[in-house]
Amino acid sequence: MSQYEELTTTMTDQQYLVEALTEMGYKPEVQTAGAALRGYGGVSWNRPVQVTIPREQLRGALAPVGFGRDETGVFQAVIDDLDRKCTGLNESWLGRVAQAYKERQTMAVAKTKGYVFRGREVVQTPQGPKVQLRFAVR
Amino acid sequence: MQEKLITIEIDENGNSSLDLEGFQGQGCGDVAKDFRGGDSVTQSNKKREFYAQTVAVKQSQQQT
Repeated sequence: MSQYEELTTTMTDQQYLVEALTEMGYKPEVQTAGAALRGYGGVSWNRPVQVTIPREQLRGALAPVGFGRDETGVFQAVIDDLDRKCTGLNESWLGRVAQAYKERQTMAVAKTKGYVFRGREVVQTPQGPKVQLRFAVR
Repeated sequence: MQEKLITIEIDENGNSSLDLEGFQGQGCGDVAKDFRGGDSVTQSNKKREFYAQTVAVKQSQQQT
């Protein structure tokens, strides 16, 4: 029997999270007030989630993935433990979500502060791809 | 005058670092503050330009 597990993130902005997931090819569903997350075999998570990726969008997954705010407002990922072990919805996947999130956030901060975007480059490393964003001072 | 360039690198776990070119002194801190404000930068490395101005200011103070 599978069960949901919570994986820690540092993401706090719902808009950037949704944009990051969209960039990764998902069509996340947003329930700002929070909704129940129900998984394989009727298993449910005990706290509401605000962002959900339906199971149909997760190839081979048993259950939807949710992102719910904790008491400090930080999103925590809620993932079925079997999906985490067998379908790649693991810490590495969550790292890619965080990477896409951070890129969105950085671009938004740079725009707000008036920096001039000079380019984006992806550098392949043994640990994985790194994104380099360049800006100039106006 | 050398253009001031900012490079932000985001690794595969979403951790970011800041690299600055052409900045001196407090300008570095201002940029880091801008990006840290949105929790975008979790690591920053000061370059020798930062300390160049700091040393110059200290030497100036000692002479007066």
